Amino acid sequence: MTLSDWSQVTRPIPVPNEWTKPFWDAAKQGVLALQRCRSCGHFQHPPYATCVNCISVDLTFEPVPGTGTIYAYSIMYHAGDKRFAAAIPYASIIVELDAAPGALLAGNLLDAPYTEAKVGRRVEVVFQALNEDITLPQFRLAPNQA
Amino acid sequence: MWENRCKVAVSGVGFSTITRSAEMPLAAYALQAVKAAVADAGLDMADIDGLATYAELPATGHTIVDGISIVSVNCMMAMLKLPNLSWHVQVDTVNIGGAVQQAVNALLAGVCTYAVVWRAMHNPRGTYQNLPGTYAQGPAQFTAPYGFGGPGQGMAVAYTRWLERHNQKREKMATLAVTQRQYANKNPHAYFYKTPLTREDYLNSRMVAYPFCLYDCDIPVQGAVALVLTTAERARDLKPRPAYIAGYGQRLAFEVAGRIGSLSSYMAGGSSSSRLTWERSGFTPQDVDVAQIYDGFSASVIYGLESYGFCKEGEALDFIQDGRIEPDGALPLNTFGGSLSTGRIHGLWHIIEGALQASGRAEDRQIKDVNVSFVGASAPIVQGTTFIFVREPY
Repeated sequence: MTLSDWSQVTRPIPVPNEWTKPFWDAAKQGVLALQRCRSCGHFQHPPYATCVNCISVDLTFEPVPGTGTIYAYSIMYHAGDKRFAAAIPYASIIVELDAAPGALLAGNLLDAPYTEAKVGRRVEVVFQALNEDITLPQFRLAPNQA
Repeated sequence: MWENRCKVAVSGVGFSTITRSAEMPLAAYALQAVKAAVADAGLDMADIDGLATYAELPATGHTIVDGISIVSVNCMMAMLKLPNLSWHVQVDTVNIGGAVQQAVNALLAGVCTYAVVWRAMHNPRGTYQNLPGTYAQGPAQFTAPYGFGGPGQGMAVAYTRWLERHNQKREKMATLAVTQRQYANKNPHAYFYKTPLTREDYLNSRMVAYPFCLYDCDIPVQGAVALVLTTAERARDLKPRPAYIAGYGQRLAFEVAGRIGSLSSYMAGGSSSSRLTWERSGFTPQDVDVAQIYDGFSASVIYGLESYGFCKEGEALDFIQDGRIEPDGALPLNTFGGSLSTGRIHGLWHIIEGALQASGRAEDRQIKDVNVSFVGASAPIVQGTTFIFVREPY
């Protein structure tokens, strides 16, 4: 089984805004940091103006361990965007982090055949620099599958 | 029960030609559908005094040009030059079903007498869904860099989770695609009217975004549909038998913009919309004689059947088997062919078919002895938009 070839893919580059800048600043340092409510402790992603759990506006960013499980996934076979054509078929996954239930992160499953994407499989974060400013959190299979 | 049940009715429906791509500007398609609906009701255009639409272009990364890629209320006003226009709205939430519900409210409030609602859909040249350009802004900054390009993948990840959580097989969806195509083969307005589809066609078709194959996706088309709403009293004086609106509901289900893949919201969005509809009408899922449930992607039908209460969570793919959704089954479903077979016109065609079935006007597709006709006009994973039409006011 072959791996998806990401070497020819040009990814759209994220543009941080006032809500999301701390996430990207942390990622650049190799740290996964999520928005957390100081009032009720709820983690959420993507960042938002208020806590979606208790409507508090007292929000901060906190580092979280980069381990979690695949919550959902899709295998892309259709080259809708030609920039991703070389990687087809590839796995786009949604990850639920152990430390932040309900906060869902998108990613690709790297360093493994796309057929390894399954709901519930253990993954860990890896960081992929896109340019000097932006580093993308990505995921690969965790060494010890629960 | 709702005090306004059966006080507004659908009295006319209309269709444009449905083509794969643009053969005329979209405004011409919309005009064709609106004229046909007004004629079907037996009215003159000058009688129309209310206009409503939801004008969104679902294709991403394309230029919006009014009259070419969307048909706004302003565009329709300019074409029709209605002498008695007294109310209009262009909604921005809850899809085209929301425009129909606003028109119902306007008729109940007495601020217009005959309202037209249309949905016009453009199929742009080139790729339908484009990822952002060099940079990904807003919610897309967390999805586009990973190759998430449009609603297809967002819906696909949710469907994968549903399948694996409930130990289900995607192959069972062939029944939905094939049954809907058989209905479409009796609907001369459908894009696939003359094209059969077999179970083998479905099982052998190419994968687009696993678990969705080609026939799990509605085909993008250029076209428009329209309906005329009026008060029940006026509807009884018109030639077509009225389809009375017994109840409706709506409920957005996006938790946070840009978040994808969650299945926690579809039961909430669909069930809160349908609960309002059941309570307002006084009916239950067991009372329903025929149902139209939005199927932009096939999996939306699953979420609809479960969240509206027709079956339990995780059971919908089994529920649709064994002839249950066929014409003589317990719940004939998407009897016009659904978006999978008519082409992508969003939910207004579902609403139109619901009304036609209630008024006994569905021609070769008419289900026997229909009184209660249910419509889920949007994907409950995004929003619930539900209606019940009845043949007999009560």
